[in-house]
Amino acid sequence: MSLIAFAGRRLVGAAVLLVVLSAVVFATTAVLPGDAVSAVAGVDASAAQRAEVRAELGLDRPAAERYAHWVEDAVRGDLGHGFVGDRPVTDVLATRLPNSLLLAGLTLAVTAPLAALLGLWTGLRGGGADRFVSTAAQILAAVPEFVVAALLVAVLAVWLELLPRVSVIPLGGTPLDVPHALILPVLTLSAVGLAVATRLLRVSVADAAATPYCEAARLNGVRGIRLAVRHILPNAAGPAVHALTLTTGALVGSAVVVENVFDYPGIGRELQLAVAARDIPMVQGIATVLAGVMLVVLLTGDICARLLGAREGHGR
Amino acid sequence: MTTVLTPPGKRSRAARTGVLRRRRPPLLTGAGTLLVLLLALLGPLVAPHSPTAQLAAPFQQPDGRFLLGTDVLGRDVLSRVLGGGRTIVLTALAGTAAAGAVGTAVGVLAAMVSRRLGDLLLRCVDALAVLPALLVVLVLAAGFPGSATALVAAVALATAPFSARVLRAAADTVLSSGYVEAALARGDTRLAVLRHDVLPNIAGPALMDTALRLVASLHLTATAGFLGLGPGGATPDWGRMVSENVPGTTLAATPFLAPALLLVLLSVCVGLLAGRLADTVGRGAA
Repeated sequence: MSLIAFAGRRLVGAAVLLVVLSAVVFATTAVLPGDAVSAVAGVDASAAQRAEVRAELGLDRPAAERYAHWVEDAVRGDLGHGFVGDRPVTDVLATRLPNSLLLAGLTLAVTAPLAALLGLWTGLRGGGADRFVSTAAQILAAVPEFVVAALLVAVLAVWLELLPRVSVIPLGGTPLDVPHALILPVLTLSAVGLAVATRLLRVSVADAAATPYCEAARLNGVRGIRLAVRHILPNAAGPAVHALTLTTGALVGSAVVVENVFDYPGIGRELQLAVAARDIPMVQGIATVLAGVMLVVLLTGDICARLLGAREGHGR
Repeated sequence: MTTVLTPPGKRSRAARTGVLRRRRPPLLTGAGTLLVLLLALLGPLVAPHSPTAQLAAPFQQPDGRFLLGTDVLGRDVLSRVLGGGRTIVLTALAGTAAAGAVGTAVGVLAAMVSRRLGDLLLRCVDALAVLPALLVVLVLAAGFPGSATALVAAVALATAPFSARVLRAAADTVLSSGYVEAALARGDTRLAVLRHDVLPNIAGPALMDTALRLVASLHLTATAGFLGLGPGGATPDWGRMVSENVPGTTLAATPFLAPALLLVLLSVCVGLLAGRLADTVGRGAA
């Protein structure tokens, strides 16, 4: 199968999946329309007021009809308006999503090379250093992100007063205007990402090192960095891309938490606020777009892995 | 022929105990896990004050009356710490049990039906795995605000797809073994094969997988508490305590350090224990 056909098939698959996921998100959030009404009209609204709000929000129509309407608008690039402040969902996405992508990009830039180094080192060396790094990664991956973030805040921002506690971004500015506000969020996310990626990479390096051709190379006297660069890296690259894809996926979840800890103006913070305010259209829009972002990441990972010659169906 | 007919469960169990004997048992992590679990489950019974009542000024330093000081609203930190673990542990356990049950059911079903149908089933399950776990929790929390059941369901939904995949592979191995073929050839029904051959032999992998899911579930429930999802109000919760008290770190360290360190202890001990279990079972089966 040629690469284009492969990419095309995956693209269609991802599009179908996105429709399914958006339906799931819609169904989950729309089953209890009563709550959306009380979120807008207030808890002590009269029955007449509630009915009015219900009609105004279009909640008196059947859910399937509302979903069809929502999809129709979404295809035209309109994700509706949030209940709170009547902001268009697409506007919120346009201002917040780039901030989150910046956070994710910086984190990957820190994580990927470090994880590759650590993965190669531990996967090839084995022994005490391997056990130490693996255990440390296991511990770090088990601890919830917000605990890591809160401890970092307590030590670096409050007690040592080295860095700002929250990421205050000037109105209308971008996070790049205040680079020091990015340090703590990126540090937290990198720690979490590093823990996930190192463990996955270590396994693929150890697998590559155990193959007969690496054994043959070692018997021929190839050692150290040369062995790592010439024989292990090309063969571990496919699984490594897979590992990085999974790490990116984990980062989407972690970013929601980290943005909340530092009040970072990203899409995850906006999603949490929308959930807290029961702003259903906002939740639907953001969740669907985030699912789309995940699908794009997975698709890119698949295509890269294929370009690198990894066998299809790796990792079962 | 008799060797082929012996289920491999027996041999692997012998190998497993052999591995356990050679490696030091994880006493420290085991003791740590037991300690935190006991504290979380029995803590509410021994709390000295009400965990929700405002008893003094906010952020008081620890003294004789309040051993760990008071929190952001002047509530007793010790009582809140003692009462705040139960929800996390119980929700995570319920979510893990549900995920284990659903994952095993789907995995075994996918292995028992025809290959194409099984692949299709797993493809559907994979659709859920695309969503980051926290996104599932957030969406369900938006649909069912403040519901503990929704939180359990979200935790189960977010972790079950991975279980289904692992258990299908495990069930596939059992189903293609000689003794299952012999049982089917003998005329045993598929249900009998499921009960006597498949389920006993995938119990090990299922247990190991469930232990790994528990780590993820604890992680998710604690995070949900931190984000203020799930049952709200004034009920204590280690996750929420951290978020409430972080702004006051300069004034008092205990209200935020105590729950944070307990969460670290809980997740690290359970994580290491689960990793060890996975190692042991994995090696025993190999």
